[in-house]
Amino acid sequence: MSDLLQLLFSGLAQGSIYGLVAIGFVAVFSVREIVNLAQGEYSALAGLSAISAVAAGVPLLLAILLVVPLVIGVSVIIERVCIEPVRRMTPLVSIILTLGVSTALKAAMLLIWGPQARGLPPFPGRDLVVAGISVRSQELWIIGIAVLVAVVVIWAYEHTLLGKAMRACAEQPVAARLVGISPRMATMIAFGIAGLVGAVAGVIGSPIYFSSWDYGLGLGLKGFVAATLGGLISLRVALFGGVVLGILENLVAGYIDSGYRDAVAFLVLLLVLLIRPQGLMLKASGARV
Amino acid sequence: MRSEGILRFYLPFALFAVILVVFPLVASINLVNIGVYALIYALAAIGLSLLMGLAGQVSLGQAAFFAVGAYTHAILVTKYAVPGVLAALAAVLAAMLVALLVGLPLLRLRGHFLALATLGLGIIVTVVARELEITGGTSGIFGVPKPVINGRTYDTPSEFFWLLSPVILIALLLARNLVRSRTGRALGAVNDSEVAAECLGVNTFALRLRVFVLAAGYAGLAGVFYAYWLAVVSPEAAGFELSVSLLLMVILGGLGTVWGAITGSVIVQGLDEGMRALIPKIIPGATGEVQLLGFGIVLVLLIILLPGGLAQLWGMAKSHLHDRLAARRSAAEMAEPDQSAGVDDKVGPEPGAPAAAGSKPSLDGVLDHALIPERGSTVLRIRGLTKRYGGVVAVDDVDLDAQAGEILALIGPNGAGKTTCFNMITGVLVPTAGTIEIRGTRVEGRRPHIIAQLGATRTFQNLQTFASTTVLGNVAVARHLRSRAGLVRGMLSLARREERDIEHGARAAVAAMGLQDDADRPVKDLSFGRQRQVEVARALAMSPMLLLLDEPMAGLSGPERDELSALLRQTREAGITVVLVEHDVDAVMALADRVAVLDDGQLIAVGPPEEVRQDEAVIAAYLGTDDDAEDVLRQAAEEVRG
Repeated sequence: MSDLLQLLFSGLAQGSIYGLVAIGFVAVFSVREIVNLAQGEYSALAGLSAISAVAAGVPLLLAILLVVPLVIGVSVIIERVCIEPVRRMTPLVSIILTLGVSTALKAAMLLIWGPQARGLPPFPGRDLVVAGISVRSQELWIIGIAVLVAVVVIWAYEHTLLGKAMRACAEQPVAARLVGISPRMATMIAFGIAGLVGAVAGVIGSPIYFSSWDYGLGLGLKGFVAATLGGLISLRVALFGGVVLGILENLVAGYIDSGYRDAVAFLVLLLVLLIRPQGLMLKASGARV
Repeated sequence: MRSEGILRFYLPFALFAVILVVFPLVASINLVNIGVYALIYALAAIGLSLLMGLAGQVSLGQAAFFAVGAYTHAILVTKYAVPGVLAALAAVLAAMLVALLVGLPLLRLRGHFLALATLGLGIIVTVVARELEITGGTSGIFGVPKPVINGRTYDTPSEFFWLLSPVILIALLLARNLVRSRTGRALGAVNDSEVAAECLGVNTFALRLRVFVLAAGYAGLAGVFYAYWLAVVSPEAAGFELSVSLLLMVILGGLGTVWGAITGSVIVQGLDEGMRALIPKIIPGATGEVQLLGFGIVLVLLIILLPGGLAQLWGMAKSHLHDRLAARRSAAEMAEPDQSAGVDDKVGPEPGAPAAAGSKPSLDGVLDHALIPERGSTVLRIRGLTKRYGGVVAVDDVDLDAQAGEILALIGPNGAGKTTCFNMITGVLVPTAGTIEIRGTRVEGRRPHIIAQLGATRTFQNLQTFASTTVLGNVAVARHLRSRAGLVRGMLSLARREERDIEHGARAAVAAMGLQDDADRPVKDLSFGRQRQVEVARALAMSPMLLLLDEPMAGLSGPERDELSALLRQTREAGITVVLVEHDVDAVMALADRVAVLDDGQLIAVGPPEEVRQDEAVIAAYLGTDDDAEDVLRQAAEEVRG
């Protein structure tokens, strides 16, 4: 029993990270219909940059406060330089384009930080044992910060004019423009949000999941799968999907074989597509006449 | 088509064969070694190029199929002592089987899902290979013996290169044939306009699945040679890096061009070696997959600056050269008019070419009379047809029939639901309620290609021509259901006679619409009105019994309208049912046998033109509407503010 609770709890922490990344996917997709394959790289970049800053003597909190805007900036620059100039953005083009960005980012990180994985020092606090479960203080930090950031982003999307206009951009660009948001601006903001959630996920997870140049590939795929559960348009379901995926992975790792952990996301994706293929992305199939 | 000469088709193959033979004789061992890898990866890249260029699907997991092929081969050869050729065959089939299982659920979905799912597949194959005992865990499988044929071992780079050469040539030839075949033409159409291709009877899903499986087969074969050459297969074979570099090869060479895949793989392989050597020199201590930096940057630059890859560059260079040659020739003609006149005479119209414009259009050779039902029988029967979007009712409980050999016009103010009706009849939209029967077969909610098979097709209000091909190419797609050659016959180029029939039928339809002078021009160079005519010709070329035309007169000049009206009357005489949506009320009243009027989703009148013209509800509907655009916008904005 305590085994199960232990796995559920670590899954919850891991899943909060996936949920944040999933929100990044949804933020961009709901505005521009692009699956941003560089989403996972933001987390790796944030983690590695923070580690370097701390190694250079910058206090942990300050390092984090510096790194998050840095990654937001990188994300927005990527949008300005690589996404904006493309006139005919088909799914094929967007995938290849963001794949190129992701690959270049990965290789740049490899060149700068080398191949070793490393972690940030844990955030302050003491590990606890509650009802037979060992609770690492970092995991509490992860869950707390992830939920806070996710809730703020979701709230902003659902309750501010800006958020509503962003959501309307993909479907009703004219209407969005009438309330003062151009699709260009919305895309830029969406990439900013993607950078924000990616950076936060990377920094809070780094002390226990570590950061490395190729950390983003797996993380990105898992975030995407979580986002798929919400049809790539629902932020709430994306967050929830991330948590579910994290818990499932931990159960598989705990009860079956830790080697199969990384296969879970793909199986979930296949399963979801088999069970509810229409409801995921094709709200009205083929109705683009 | 026929105009592409046999010489022009085979000459590149002959040249390439010569290069393949000569290269190992003149290049250093090191270069030949790189060449071997380039050829191996080119096999996988050809498959990926077909998938992306023809089927319009991105696979980020081509390496997964590569690894399945490599592992299957290595396991069979080393653990079960299966003969090499048999093991290779099994390996290719295994890769194709995996693709079939993955493709069945995924290819129904558009765009992003397949890409991400194949990315996941790559990860899963790596995980499984690392975990299972039979695949040798993290260290993989060692000691795959080099191929031995007739007692001769192919173990030097040059020998292996020569062993690979015929395989590459055959793989290229098959792929090249496929691009030009009926399947290739249909998939090209799907890429340009999926909905139009489906409405002409193209089963998108089935074709995509086949190409996906075929692409996996190519990757599996590449995996076999990889296992042979490296003698070791480890989980890295399914690595993401390989998928990225294969993708780069394809994009660099130009999507869907098989020669591009070869060129791309040679360049990328060179780039790979070069970057691995160069980067550690610039940045001391750099290790690992540093060449990815170059791959990523080149990918982004290509997509932004040269999305068509080297093939686009090649095309630009060719047309530039062509223009300059033409300029020089016309200069020469000015100097010696007599000589050139003689040459020009020979390229005049062929005997038996379609009649010149102006004469009466003819539908002979276009329509298959066996497919046309008896005059007066009910072809289309609609009952209670309804479409709701949330709270908005676009089409409300419509009952409508159409008989064989009549022209039925559907009119009504903007937003009355005319196009929505068309979309439901042709399977583009699923109705919320109601039934649609085409000659007694219930079709509501079926896919467009099924409805096309029953003999119904359409044109589109917003143009849906196949922009990447010519007028004739557009119309030829409509002969899809009038022909049968599948993937294999296409690859082996065994459907020559059928191809001739297709071209014949397509030319007849083009001539019937008076488009013969533009037949070989790219359709996107034509005016808006001409492109509409191409759509009508295309729909007729399918030899439908039920033809739905969505605003066919829009953008046409007066004489063109008259011509179209004449052609439609002729179509009616042939016994075909024509249903058209049209704004030009006068044209409609002159042409139609019956007129149905939709207003706000409801059918308010049906009957002969003169009756409908007098109908008070109709008059009220036409006078009562003035769609205030600003109103609509304001409403939409309020919805957003919510």
